Order: sequence, then C-alpha cells, then structure tokens
Amino acid sequence: MKKYLKSAAGISILAALVLAQSCKKSFLDVTAKGTVASAQFWKTEADATSAVDAMYANLHEWTNIAFAPIAVESMGSDDVEKGSTPTDASFMNDFHFFTANSGEGQISDFWSGEYKTINFANQILDNVPGINMDGALKSRYLAEAKFIRAYAYFRLVRAFGDVPLRLHVPKTAAEYNIPRSPKAQVWAAIETDLNDAASVLPQSYSAADVGHVTKGAALALHAKAALYQKKWGDVITYTNTVMGLGYTLFPNYEQLFRTTNKNNSESIFEIQCMLIPNNPGASNSQYSQVQGVRGVTGGGWGFNVPSADLAAAYEAGDPRRDATIIFRGETTPEGDAIPADGDNPMYNQKSYVPFSLYVSGFNEGCQQNKIVLRYADVLLMNAEANNESGNAAAALASLELVRARARGGNNAILPKITTTDQAALRAAIYNERRVELAMEFDRYFDVIRQGRGAEVFGSRGWKANKNEVWPIPQNEIDLSAGTLTQNTGY
Amino acid sequence: MKRIFTISGLVLLCFLFINAAAAQNTAVKGTVTDAATGETLIGVSVSVKGTTTGTQTDVNGAFTITAAANATLTFSYLGYATQDVPVNNQSVLTVKLAPSAKQLDQVVVIGYGTQRKADNTGSVASVKGADISKQASQNALSSLQGKVAGVNIINSGAPGASPQVTIRGLGTIGGSSTPLYVVDGVWYDDISFLNTADIDNVSVLKDASSTAIYGIRGANGVMVITTKRGTKGKPVINYNGYVGWQKATNLVKMANATEYATAINELYQYNGITPVLFSDPASFGTGTDWYGQILRNAFTTNHEISLSGGSKDNVYNVSFGYLDQDGLVKTNNYQRYTAHVSDDWTVIKPLKIGFTVSALSSESKDINGGIFHELYGAAPTLPVFYKDGAYGDPNDYHTGDGNNYNPQATLDFFNQKSRNKRFTGNVYGELTFLKNFKFKTSYGGDIGQAEVRNYTPVYHATTAQQSTTSSFDVQHTETRNWIWENTLTYNKTIGDHKITGLVGMTAQDYTTYYAHGFAKDVPYVANGSLTGSFPASATGYLQPVTPSQQPHIRDLSYFGRINYSYQDKYLLNASIRQDGSSPYYGTNGKNVFGYFPSVGAGWVISNESFMKDQHLFDELKLRGSWGKVGNRNVPINLSNLVVTSDPSYLTAVFGNPQVPYLGASINTVVPPLTVWENAESVDAGLEGAFLNNRLSFEADYYNRVTENAIFAIPIPASVGTGGSSIVGNQAKIKNRGAEFIVTWKDKPSTNFSYSVSANLGINTNTVTSVESGKNPIYSGGNGIANGALATRTVVGEPIGEFYGYKVQGIFQQNQTTGAQPTAKAGDFQYVDEDKNGVIDSRDRVVLGNPNPKYNYGINTSFTYKQFDLSVDMQGVAGVDIYNANIAYRYGNENFTQDFYDHRWHGAGTSNTYPSVNVGSNANAAPNSFYVESGAYFRVRNAQLGYTFPNSGLKRLGIQKLRIFANAQNALNLFGYKGFNPEVGGDILGRGLDANVYPLYATYNFGVNLTL
Repeated sequence: MKKYLKSAAGISILAALVLAQSCKKSFLDVTAKGTVASAQFWKTEADATSAVDAMYANLHEWTNIAFAPIAVESMGSDDVEKGSTPTDASFMNDFHFFTANSGEGQISDFWSGEYKTINFANQILDNVPGINMDGALKSRYLAEAKFIRAYAYFRLVRAFGDVPLRLHVPKTAAEYNIPRSPKAQVWAAIETDLNDAASVLPQSYSAADVGHVTKGAALALHAKAALYQKKWGDVITYTNTVMGLGYTLFPNYEQLFRTTNKNNSESIFEIQCMLIPNNPGASNSQYSQVQGVRGVTGGGWGFNVPSADLAAAYEAGDPRRDATIIFRGETTPEGDAIPADGDNPMYNQKSYVPFSLYVSGFNEGCQQNKIVLRYADVLLMNAEANNESGNAAAALASLELVRARARGGNNAILPKITTTDQAALRAAIYNERRVELAMEFDRYFDVIRQGRGAEVFGSRGWKANKNEVWPIPQNEIDLSAGTLTQNTGY
Repeated sequence: MKRIFTISGLVLLCFLFINAAAAQNTAVKGTVTDAATGETLIGVSVSVKGTTTGTQTDVNGAFTITAAANATLTFSYLGYATQDVPVNNQSVLTVKLAPSAKQLDQVVVIGYGTQRKADNTGSVASVKGADISKQASQNALSSLQGKVAGVNIINSGAPGASPQVTIRGLGTIGGSSTPLYVVDGVWYDDISFLNTADIDNVSVLKDASSTAIYGIRGANGVMVITTKRGTKGKPVINYNGYVGWQKATNLVKMANATEYATAINELYQYNGITPVLFSDPASFGTGTDWYGQILRNAFTTNHEISLSGGSKDNVYNVSFGYLDQDGLVKTNNYQRYTAHVSDDWTVIKPLKIGFTVSALSSESKDINGGIFHELYGAAPTLPVFYKDGAYGDPNDYHTGDGNNYNPQATLDFFNQKSRNKRFTGNVYGELTFLKNFKFKTSYGGDIGQAEVRNYTPVYHATTAQQSTTSSFDVQHTETRNWIWENTLTYNKTIGDHKITGLVGMTAQDYTTYYAHGFAKDVPYVANGSLTGSFPASATGYLQPVTPSQQPHIRDLSYFGRINYSYQDKYLLNASIRQDGSSPYYGTNGKNVFGYFPSVGAGWVISNESFMKDQHLFDELKLRGSWGKVGNRNVPINLSNLVVTSDPSYLTAVFGNPQVPYLGASINTVVPPLTVWENAESVDAGLEGAFLNNRLSFEADYYNRVTENAIFAIPIPASVGTGGSSIVGNQAKIKNRGAEFIVTWKDKPSTNFSYSVSANLGINTNTVTSVESGKNPIYSGGNGIANGALATRTVVGEPIGEFYGYKVQGIFQQNQTTGAQPTAKAGDFQYVDEDKNGVIDSRDRVVLGNPNPKYNYGINTSFTYKQFDLSVDMQGVAGVDIYNANIAYRYGNENFTQDFYDHRWHGAGTSNTYPSVNVGSNANAAPNSFYVESGAYFRVRNAQLGYTFPNSGLKRLGIQKLRIFANAQNALNLFGYKGFNPEVGGDILGRGLDANVYPLYATYNFGVNLTL
C-alpha cells in the first residue's frame, strides 16, 4: 500500500504540474460575462445600427434633457423662474440671477452631456465607414451622426463660445487635452456637418423609422446656425428650402405638445421618448418630470416655471398663453384639476403629460417627446431674416402664417401685422418669437444674439461682455492644467 | 521496491547527510509527548548533540537514532522549550517536552506553513481566536481593531457590513486596498461568513517577505486564518452564549421644531423670499424627535455550541451558531445560522486526509438605506401622524425637496428581505514520505447565493410616498469560486542546519452570475409577498438579465520558498512566486506573468555565545527583509475596450407606434497597456524580551513603494466619456512608517496574573510620482460637496488630501465690491491666497489629510482568583475628516443643534459659523470650515468574567463554567461634530463624511460552558 501511495504522490505532483503548465495560456483566457470586447464590435450592419440607436438614446438622458439644459438654456431667460419651493435646488437661481460661477455642477453637467453626444457621433463617424454593409444605409447613418454632432456643437457654442472641437474619437493621452477652438471654427464645423447631412438624409421615413433625423431637420438647424451668425441670406435660403418640403402648422397649438400628437405635420425634429412597459429604467426621460406640477400624483418637481413677465407678454386673448401656462387652480383641457394651494402659481404646459398617464414606478411624464425643431420656428427665422434683409413683404407673409394658426379662426384676436417699418416689424417678430416658442429653450439665447441682453436681463444682473456666455467648467480647466482658458469675466 | 525507493531517496539527499556514526554507537528508541497533555508529538527534531546526526519523530511520536551510549540528544519542536537528554546507556527514552514561555519559541502561522517566531524574518502578528471571540462583534475583523500595530480598521456601523481594513497605509489608488484572507488555505476577499467562535488563530502578514508567497494578492497584506480543529481525547462540548443590546451613542443632536422653523424662515429671508414659510415658529414647540421615533435599543442573542474530540487516527470539530440581531432602526433584523465542520483522518500512517466546511444561512429584514438621511434632514415641525391617524405629509408644510418624506412612512412601507446562503471549505490530502517530505493537495470551493426580494404594495402615505400599483422585484447573485493548491514541503535538521523547502502551484477561478426579475400588479399575500415565485396573475414579467459586466477571473501560479537557519542564530528566508491572472491576459504577451521574489535575514543575538553571561536580555533578535508583491484587485479588463449596452441609458425609441431599441456603443477610453501593480518593500525589525520574559518588545520600520500603481486619472469631460477617468499604470506611492509593541506580563502570585500590551503604528503616505506630472488629480466629493471636487492628489503629498478655500471669517454685511462682490451677509469670507483681489479656484489650498498618521491600541488583561477582566482601548490620531453633511443640502433640511446654536444670524452674531444659507453654492464650496480633526479614543471592549471553582462543578460533569459581562464602545472620546469619526470611503474620497449612521455601544451578558 505504502509504496503505491508514494508513487501515486509523485505521479500526482507531476501530473498537476504538467497539466497546469500545458493549459496555462488557455486557462487564463477568459472575458467577463455580459460584455462584448470592442474587438468584436464595428463588424456588422447590426453593430452600426446599435451605435446609431445608442446615439439617439443618449439624447434623452438627464444631462441632455433635464436639469442642465434648464439651468444653461432656460434659467437666464425672462420667460421663467426657478420654481419648486424657494430653497429647493437654489443653485438654479444662480443662473437666473447670473451669479453662477465656474464651479456650478449644472455647467459641468451640460458640458459633459453635450460631449457625450459628440462622442457617440464620433464613434459612428470613425468606425462605421469600415463596416461592410448596405451602402445607402451606411451613408444615412453617417449623415445622422453628423446632424447629431452639429446639434451638440450648436448647443455648446451658444452656451460657451469657443470650445474644444473634437471631430474624431481621441485615441492617445495627447488628444484628450486639447485647447478651445475659436467659435468661428466651431460654427464652420457645424455648417459643414449640416451640409453633408442635408445632402444625404431623406425627407421622411417609413412608419417604423420615424424619429430619425431628416433632410428638413438638417436644413432647419442650418438656418438656425446661420441666424446666430446673422448670415441672413443663408437663413432665407435654408428656411425657404424647408418651406418647400411640405411641413404644415398643426392646427391646434395646445394639442401640438400632447403625447397623442407626437411627430405631427409641424414637427421637424423631436427627441423620442416613451413609457416602456415594465421597464422604468429604460424609460429614463425626466424632461416632463422636472417641470411637472408639484404636489400631485403624476405631476412632478415644478422647476422652470413660467414667469409673470411671460404671462404678461401675450397680446389680449392670445390662446397660446393658456396653452403654454398651467395656472394654479385651473383645470387642464385634459381634465386635470390643478390644486389652488400649490407651491407655484404657474407651470410649463408644453412639457405637461396628463396625470392619468402616470404609472407608478416610472418617471412622471416619461412618455413626453421633446420638440427640438418645428415648422413655426422655421417660419419665424424666415421672417426675421427677411426683415433684416429688407424684404418686409416676405417677412410679413411668414409671420402671418404663425399668427393665423394661433388665432385658431378667431379673427377678433391677434390682428394681422402690416407694418413695413423695419424696426417696428423687428419688434413684432421678436415678440412673436417669444410667445410662440416660449418655454422651448430658445428665448435666452435669442435675446443675447439679438444684442438685447443688458436691456432685457440687466435688471437681474446680466452684464455685457461677460454674460453672453457661461463660464467654462472649473473642473475641466483644472484637469487641462491650463490648456483651457476661462471666459472673460469669470 | 521499498528498498530501492528508500535508497534512491537517500542517494538523492546524500549531500545533506554527513554520516558521523562511530563504532560503539547503538540504536536509541523512544517517544516524545507533550508534558502537559500527554499527547504524542509528531515531527520533533532529534539530534545528537555536537554532531550532524539527526532524525524526526514519526506520526506516533516515536524515533530511532544511532548515538553513542554517553551522548546527549537534543529535542526541539515548534512552540516547545528545547530539551537536552543524556542517553546514559539507555536504549529506550521517554521524553516530555514542555510548551515554551519564550516569545520567540511560539509558533506563528505563515503562508503555506508554520514557523517558530524565532525563525521568522518578516513582520507577522498573531491574534488568538479566544481574543477575537471574546468580543461582541459579529465580524472577526472588527475584533481586531486596536490589536495589531499597523492595521487600521474602520467599522462602517451598518449591521452585517464588513469593516474596511488597511494594513500599513494605502498602497493603491485604482485597486482594492483590502488584504487577502486565507482561511484554511482557501482565499477570500471577505470573511463575513465566519463565525468568530470558529476561529483558532489569525496571523497578520505585514511585510513583503511574508506576503510575497501570495504574489499578486499580497500587496495589501495577508491575514492567514486557521479555524478550530479537533484534538485527540474524549468528546468535549462547549457552549457559548450571550444576550445583549445595542444602543445608539454620541448621537448628533438636531434642532427642535421651533428652532427649525426659525432657521428656515432665516433661510427665506436671506434668499429674499417673502412671506417666510412659518408664520409662528414658537407654535411648533419642540416638535417631533425623529431619531427617538425611529431608533431603538436593539436586542441581540447569540448561541454557539461545539463538539470536538477524536481518536488517535481521527479528530473532529463540529459547531453550530445562531445569531439574532435587531438593528438600531425599528423593524430591522438579522438572523444568521452558521455551521462549521472539520475532520482530519490519518488513513494510514503517512497519509492524512481531511476537510473543513463552513456553511452560512442568513436572512435579514432590511430597511431603506436612505432613512438615515431622511432622519437627519426630517423637519421636526412634521408630526409623525395627524390626529386622524394619517401620516404627517411634508407636502402640507411646503418644506420641499430633500425633505419630502415622512421617515415613519418610509419605514412602514419598505418591504424587503435579503437572504444569503454560503457553502465554502476545502478537502485535502497530505502525504508524508521519505521522512522529510510532505505533499499536500487541497481543493477549496466557495458557493454563495444572495437574493434580495422587494415588494411594493399599493399604498398612499404621503404625497411623495405612495404607489398606485404593486410590484415585486427579485435580484439574485451567485458566486462560484474554486481554488486548487498543491504543495511539496521538505523539512530537515542536520546538526546546526535547519532547512525547510517548499514548492507549489495554485489554480483559481472566480465567477459571478446575476439575474434580475421584476413584475407589476402582484397581489399581496402573507409574509409580505416576499416568498414564492412570480404569480401568473402578474401583468409584467421578468426583465431580461442586465448585461452589466460580471467578472470572471482566473489565476494560475507557481511558487517556491526556502527557510534556512544555522545554530538558531542566523536565519535566511527566500521565496519566489510566478503569477498569471486573466485580467492581464492578452494585454501584452510579455506581461501575462508576474514574478514576485523576496528575501529575509535574521540574527538571533541572544543565542550568541557572547550573550551567554548577560542577564538583561532573555531574547534579542534583529531581522530585515525585502520583497516584491502585486495587487490583482484592480478593475478588470483595463486595456480591453468594452461595448456599453446598458438599457437604462441606451434605449432609443423610434417609429409610429413607438418601439424601443437597445443601442450599444463605446463610451469609454482605455490605456494602451497595463502591467502589474507592484509593491516593493523593506522591513527592519528588532524583537526582544527582558526580565525573565516579562517585558517584551517588537519594533519595525518599513518602507513600501507601490510602482505602476493602477490609478484612475480624471480626463476632461470633453473626451466624451461623461467626465470619467482613464485607468492605467500611472503612479508611484510610498508608505513609510514604524510600528511598536510593548508587552508586560507577570504573575506576582498564584492568584493574580496580568498583562498590559500597547501598540502603535505610524504611517506617512506620499505620492512620489504620477503620470499627470505636476497636474494634480482632483477627485472626491462631487455630489456630497455640491458638485465640487473636495480632494487633491499631487506629487509629494499624501493621497486624496482635502482641498479648498480657507475661511478667514464671516461677512457681517452684504458685499458689492472686494474679493467676493456677490457675497451676502452670513457667507464665508475666504482667504485670497494669491492676493489678486478676487476669490477664485486659484485660492484653494490643502485643508487636511484623511490618511491617519497614528493608530494605537492598549490591551490589558487581569486575572485574580476566579475573576478575569480585560479592557481594550484603541484610537487614531493625526487624521482629518471632511464633514460634508453640514452643507449637503437640497433645501429645507433640518440643522444640527450645534449649527443652529452657533449660526450667523445678524451682524455680530458669529465670525466662525455661516448663516443658514450654508447649502448655497458659495458656502458649500469645499472649505476649511468643514474639515475637522478625526482623532478619537475609545474603550473598544471591556469584559469582566467569573469562573466558578472546579470543585463543585466536577460532580455535575461540568469542566468549566464562566459568566461574563461585556461592553463594547462604551466610551468614545472625540471632538468631531459628525456621528462617527470612523470614516472610510473611496480611495480618492476617503474621509469625506456623508455618513449619518449612528455610532453604537453594545452591552452583553453571557456564559461559557464546557462539558
């Protein structure tokens, strides 16, 4: 017995060592479960489709659609106040009263949110060209990525001015830390992307693909980019093209924003959101929730509420006032009674989702699409550019289309504007733009590009030569070790 | 066959033998036993004094040696006093060895073996099982607090949670700083499954020469734990039990309702809001004491019973434990059943097989972890219930976000149970052959299942706490790990030369599986609907498994070690380990395997002949070591770009009607190459004993340098990865320090004995280089520091220092000019460090260091007649805490009494505390106001016991009966204004305290019974 044991011991030691040694390499070659290594990605058409889906999905994530855009793109405007209870998220007031400094969390959230969008687009633009797939679909995907990238840079350049311009996925440490590009270069990159996108994208999609960006969206965003640069001729050219694409104003202004009328005839580009049954995690849009009516089930947090100044900006009898503002104590057209003793006198009706659609466990109003570009905006850009170019008649025609829809057949209100005096017409267009597009995240930057920042926001502390742009996030400057510079005045 | 084998073995080993046999030599036979227990001793070295002839006792304690009739035989054995026995013409000797009182004769457990402390060249500390189980902790690691120099233990406070353990300072940033735990040869990251009563010994390996044998897992230190095994003899039954309670202590007092309403009104005033929220603060009186409402004295019961014994060939130990512990929060409860079985069977003389199995089953009734923050912030103006019995609704008081929950409703409608089942242990076979060789193979496994079930009923408590549908959520995690180890040991004493050799290999596999189910409209059934499966009536069904990254890691290693000693004076140890680990596989062909060498040397000065005549030192030993170890516990797949496909982030929507599509893409960046994170360390130690071994000391100096530290350096958010960081080999970190232990033991009379032991660890942590160069790494805080980064790590400074503005006072008037032109009265006035007239980020300075400089412990024990008393004290000093709770506010949360009493509330009221507007952006920016000393001193454990005299018990068949009373954390001294100065956290955010879990004291009464 003993001797066998001895031999057995020797053999087992040898066996153990030999066995282990011989399968050493393969033994260690394991990957984590539930992951796909990048080496297996960017191979098929399905990969390209997944990456395009991911790019769109990112648009309704928190930093792209909720607090950060409210702070950076809305709070400075005279259309809104902070909302909620007075001391809740009081940092929002730093944006309303222009005391926000470079350390504000919402500034860095907005910055990182937009650059995440750019990264998703750059991933597609760098990697999809090498995939062997349907040529037409490949071109379309690349065009969609260019539109999304242009949209993100548009939001960055109007919020910060000069920003780092990344047109490829950074590969080395040296590429991580790059300086700001002059805003003219950023605008040029936006226009190049939009030209490329418009030349490829289709005018519309089959029912299953509704929500992907279209030629109209690229042209409309290009018109807006030109508007911010006061390239009036370009604005007229691009808006005229969009006006020939078949968009029509949705007859009922209030209904335009309801979940039952998503992607309607007026819609040019919307961020698509839905309540995915049994999947509250994936139904992640908080766009409606953060602005919803406080203190009621199915409402929300009540931030970014309409101001008294906005309520007073409407002409007498303008139905858009009631369609834009939920007043405390009213009953909405959908039948929701708003408590009379709520925390805030007014709430945003454009993000409102009827309380009956609320499902416990989900974000309130997660089914609300966010409209980014709509036909009325295009008409008003056309009106503004024509007036600035001295074409009063064309300006009046576009303006009247918007007012006629608002009138809703009631000729007792909103009289047709007929002045051809450029300054008077400019004022009329400015106000029309304000009330038509109120609470749609353009007002603050419209006023600034119109050169009226100090005039309109000055009483709240807005100062020329500083507040045209927000500060660059301090964390970002810290990390760049001096490569990034701060905006003047911060 | 046998002869050939033996001869070949002898030939193989002949170089080790010097045959000094002489003509008149005769064979001497005998047995060696323990003088105290009478047990035979196996493997005792027997040598002929003055020659190189030697042998060892066999499994029966028997030996045969050839010696001259007038020779003297020397018997030496681990843990026993060496004894010289003259042969005196006898042919049969019966030798009884007495256990040694000398410290250096004690046996220490090291990696893959045991050693006399005298032969050890590294820094190893042992803690006996009895000292651990004596304490009232449910986790053995908590019991080690203050016991071992250089070991810093931070208890998290939450029931069932494991403490954070750091040995000799933070040597990693991107990896885990948790030591490796080796329990009976099986490797673990956490030992919460072990019942403290089952532990026989914990050996803490601190320096690299001790841990290098564990290669890639050795960098953070290793704790080698052995569990209890049977001993030969009649079955012995042991029962240990106690009952007791936990009580919240050092609670932070909060403002009462009137004070709260006053403060919130001030907050409205400072923000220019009219009217204020509360028209008549005094009408609220003192209001609701939320801590009193939700916390309680929590009862604990613990029973543990064991049976051990065995025959000559088979020893066993079986134990069962039961713990029932209430949490400090009402409804919180934790029940644990443990079983531990070990058996060692000598099949035939040279072959022993055995196993160890630990099983655990636990169930906890959970609480919503957020309740502590709710309690901290809850408005005392809110009644728990209205007169009609409905819950007080914060919405009725317009107190807003951060404060819109009624904690009682949170408690009542949170319905969750966690169950854990774990089955772990190993089987081994050990074969002794050719006298000096021992081959051991051991296969260990660890299977764990954790399940969390949560049921939300249809309810309406308050505006913010309600649900219109019911739902049921089940998360299931399963871990399956295995380890296979083979070692071959060679042990030989030839005269003055003692040699031990070891070679071995290890293969390991770690996998985790995760499943998540969620269903809606699940009807309520008994037992909170937390049992059973998803009912068919549920309208929604299982969600797909979340494809998050679940680790699968494999390691493969080979190692060898030699220990050599000459005349018990000169010691030399050397080891090497080669490790392969899958997280590094494929990143670079050259770096698949890492090599971890070590050497150690020792000089036992007291054994030198020139020391013979001195009487000062009983023992004196100098030792030094060098070694290199690795840290595998770093983020896996570092250099492999992974595709992200998280449904809660990347679900796109298209179409009319709308349809969700799960997207996938890459949104991270990775370093091009990663190599091993290595720690290289040197250790020098001096050990000694004086005054008949009554006074002993041990002093160590160490210097540990972590190279290629795997480190996350934040990268600009404009890279597009969401403001994250890039992880790679990018830093070098130095931990330098010293440890001192002094122990005094004495027995002045037969009735009285005592010991006092003090230990001190001093550590300094410095980042000596980092890939980002002079560019500091800002981290920590973020959410809890209002979006700002509160720590900085830069070359030449410790890891993660607090960084921010220095407060010079409080503005008494609103500002319109000066360095802070937008500051309001009551805001912090910061120091303009760069004197440029503007306060901006360039004015930030270092505010404190979260890495403790001093850790100390004082452990005492006294025995007088039938009474025994032990008191353990422990503390840290030279450490700072960032009290983030003060400014971690969303709106109208409550304030602490301290803040309320000292707040600025009008010109001249305070120049140190700000106004109630403390949560505003300008005031919440990281600054010196929030940095406090984290030093504390506590009486960690005090126990008084009484052992009944033997005489009366014998008749009842009782061998031993002892009763005791125990108090843990009964006295805590600290100046920190938060709940608990023990603050852990992420490596770059350590010491940032947003914890609101109260510190608690535990009082127990128990009994130890041996039959």
